[in-house]
Amino acid sequence: MKQIRNFCIIAHIDHGKSTLADRLIQVCGGVSLRDLHDQMLDSMDIERERGITIKSNTISLDYKAKNGNDYLLNLIDTPGHVDFSHEVRRSLMACEGALIIVDASQGVEAQTVANLYLALEHDLELLPVINKIDLPSADVERAREAIDAELGLDPLEAIPVSAKAGIGIEEVLEGIVERLPSPTGDPDAPLKALIFDAHFDKYRGVILQCRVMEGTLRPKDTIHFMHANRDFTVDELGYNQFKLVPKTQLQAGEVGYIVAGVKSVQDIEIGDTITLLDRPADEPIPGYQEAKQVVFSSIYPMSTDQYVDLTKALDKLAINDAALTYEKDSSAALGFGFRCGFLGLLHLDVVQERIQREFDIGLVISAPSVKYILELTDGSTVEVDNPSYWPEPMTIQSASEPYIKASILTPESYVGPVMELCREHRSESQTMNYLSAGRIEVISEMPLGEVLFDFYGKLKMITRGYGSFDYEPIEYRKTDVVKVDILVNKEPVDTLSYLVHREKARTRALHYCERLAKEIPRHQFKIPIQGVIGGNVIARTTIAPFRKDVTEKLYGGDVTRKKKLLEKQKKGKAKMKQFGSVNIPQKAFVSVLRADND
Amino acid sequence: MIINHPHWSSDLTIPRSVYVHVPFCRHRCGYCNFTLVANRDEWVEGYLNAIEKEISAVNVGMPAPQEVDTVFLGGGTPSHLSADQLERLIYILTNKFLFASEIEFSIEANPNDITAEKVELLSSLGVNRFSLGVQSFNSKKLQTLERDHDAQVVRDAIDTIRKRVADISIDLIIGSPGETLESWQNDLDDVLSINPTHISTYSLTIEKGTQFWNRWNRGDLNEVSEDSAADYYETGIDFLTNNGFDHYEVSNFSRYGFRCRHNENYWLGKSYYGFGPGAASYIDGMRGMNHRSTSRYLQLVQSGQSPTVESELVDAEASAREKLIFGLRRIQGIDVNAYREETGYTVFELAEKDMNRLLVQKLLELEDQTLRLTRSGLLVSDSIWPLFL
Repeated sequence: MKQIRNFCIIAHIDHGKSTLADRLIQVCGGVSLRDLHDQMLDSMDIERERGITIKSNTISLDYKAKNGNDYLLNLIDTPGHVDFSHEVRRSLMACEGALIIVDASQGVEAQTVANLYLALEHDLELLPVINKIDLPSADVERAREAIDAELGLDPLEAIPVSAKAGIGIEEVLEGIVERLPSPTGDPDAPLKALIFDAHFDKYRGVILQCRVMEGTLRPKDTIHFMHANRDFTVDELGYNQFKLVPKTQLQAGEVGYIVAGVKSVQDIEIGDTITLLDRPADEPIPGYQEAKQVVFSSIYPMSTDQYVDLTKALDKLAINDAALTYEKDSSAALGFGFRCGFLGLLHLDVVQERIQREFDIGLVISAPSVKYILELTDGSTVEVDNPSYWPEPMTIQSASEPYIKASILTPESYVGPVMELCREHRSESQTMNYLSAGRIEVISEMPLGEVLFDFYGKLKMITRGYGSFDYEPIEYRKTDVVKVDILVNKEPVDTLSYLVHREKARTRALHYCERLAKEIPRHQFKIPIQGVIGGNVIARTTIAPFRKDVTEKLYGGDVTRKKKLLEKQKKGKAKMKQFGSVNIPQKAFVSVLRADND
Repeated sequence: MIINHPHWSSDLTIPRSVYVHVPFCRHRCGYCNFTLVANRDEWVEGYLNAIEKEISAVNVGMPAPQEVDTVFLGGGTPSHLSADQLERLIYILTNKFLFASEIEFSIEANPNDITAEKVELLSSLGVNRFSLGVQSFNSKKLQTLERDHDAQVVRDAIDTIRKRVADISIDLIIGSPGETLESWQNDLDDVLSINPTHISTYSLTIEKGTQFWNRWNRGDLNEVSEDSAADYYETGIDFLTNNGFDHYEVSNFSRYGFRCRHNENYWLGKSYYGFGPGAASYIDGMRGMNHRSTSRYLQLVQSGQSPTVESELVDAEASAREKLIFGLRRIQGIDVNAYREETGYTVFELAEKDMNRLLVQKLLELEDQTLRLTRSGLLVSDSIWPLFL
């Protein structure tokens, strides 16, 4: 049997994870140079542009080491954002080791540290790599110091490389072989395999990515999903080597794919443990977390005739995105749309952007909300995540909202501002844990709804990018929630309504009013913008009418040019949504959801 | 819905207006993005040859000469040409076109170029309207605008012209950097004291491709605020109308009987010829635009190619929409019955629901079957036009 190494790469955005991955692939001959697109592992456009990985990918590489042995190196990609931390965890669970990339000129960054802690939590062996040593600004010695002081790793073990220039790649491969442990596990034990990823292929159905922990899996076996409690028969299994290479078995320690007649990613749970139906394991692999939608928002097509297109787009996305939920919704102002559930704000962003980009549908989005539990005066209990279904305030006996335990890692010097930020976001308690190297973990119990409204952005700002943030839901607690409506030119725009704690209602309403005043172009008339609770105005702004907008010179030669200009303006108008007599540009709906970038 | 829309615009008639673009200037002013060349007087002869060739290619086979009602020599600075050159240019025109007895023949002129000799010659060749690029009477403002004359030059030029030609139009620029309500009012007083037959006022716009744009981008040039620009514009309208001028188009004022018929032709959506670099024409429902570069224009014509590099066929509906938009620039508005007769469309079917809103918001008014902009509509008219497209 071949020697196996299962590993992932941990890096901050832009520190060259994808480039290093490409080089490893290239050196191992996993793909011909001609087929080597830049940054193969980040396959979605959005991933490439934002430099983040959203869906994981896996590749198995053959490597002949200097010791003469053949190795199979399984590179398991990890997403890089807090919304997808459960995906990171799943990927890490499939590995024994990780490369940690440190940028030779920029040093260690927060995301690297956050993921490092995750990796340590999963008992991964870590191999530091100093990248970009070819840059004029590179300072390898300082990078080594940072590896020692900030990551607590052995600086002398760090391998200096330039992924871009192809320097040091062999050393990395040797390091993987020599210093990362091989997997353990008993091929004869009852099967236990982790499903850490899945994607839909239009010819073969869902292709599952799995790491076999114990036992052996063969084609024709009937597998049992221990959490989802569903059974499928294995049609084919094998290695991911850019194309799928069928094998006769996958056994303990191996990483590979499974095709088993699964029709949609929504049919299964990623992170689930599979075992054999006829010889099941006693218990699943620990650490399973169901992907939980915690953020809800309505999306509408900019033009109502694109509703059918939007339906198709969501159906297509959902086949590959197990975490996305959606159901029909409607708005007085915008017609039909969908109420969607997301893992977090980035997930919302990504879904929205993919719909616009891949399906060319302009969207209007409503304010993201958590799910509130209401006890009504008639004794019944309802769950509400949509402001449109908020009951009359008189009928609400009490309300509660979900709380989280947030864990924030920050350099010691920013602890004060971080605690302050938590308090501003209605944190009920903060405790501190001293970690190594001047880093502190702030644990805060706070409402989930409070982190939806750009908490992460502010955290990044006050910690200069070094703060990192993760959370887990804890429980529902009593709260005082109100529904705020936004009136533009005296008309309510239902998609702008939001649910918020009473204390925050006015500040948020003012933010909405100010943002809208900035984004809505001046009209021929004065436009009042108001935030109201019931009939009471709690915030207002006014958009002054423009006074002068007139082309003064217009003669024979100007006609054609002027007409072109007018046509352009008309198209610009089409990108706006008309409410009464006011045109609201699409970006206004997005901008109210952001607290940063002022 | 009205059936029987004419397939093409109703202006299948042969144009009765001629525009000639004369692209030469002594100097390119900082705010100017027009088609022109400065300090290229050696190109004038070639230019006149090209104009002759371009004009002779028009309507070959038609019985020449063709009668026209208006001729407009614009620029650039047509007055920058020498007397001989101007004479040749006008002969080229008279070779092809017959000037109607009521011809309006305008020339744009820089006050510095005005001499008794040139005026005498031009008037003897039929020019009966001078449009002077005065811009201001204030030396400091003229300096900012990089104009090379002063108030006295203007007064002298006007005296010289008046000996032969009565119809004089004066261009003024509103809101040059540093303008105040007082400085603008001074210009208005000065222009009134000269008592021209026609006045055009234009708010300074900082256009891409000009010196001003670069300076403005660097922060070296302060634009007047939108509020001030609106104040100045309205002050001008009120002052001039109170002093007996007819505000007949967004930027144009005239004494009774002295509207510029050539420009009215544009706003009414009628056809016209255009010759020279950057010149536009509208013939048989076809809008054409010549190449804007003078050298390229000369090359094209010399090598026997058409200098028209952009053209667009305007169908009946588009023509009706143009007539609505450009017709409303005339302050007297549009006679909705005559409009329907002419275009086959009603103004209401073209503007649909927006028309009602504009009337309710009092940006437009409909009175005695005439649709026109109100004062507040005039001030924000550019935001209205896209609704009619």
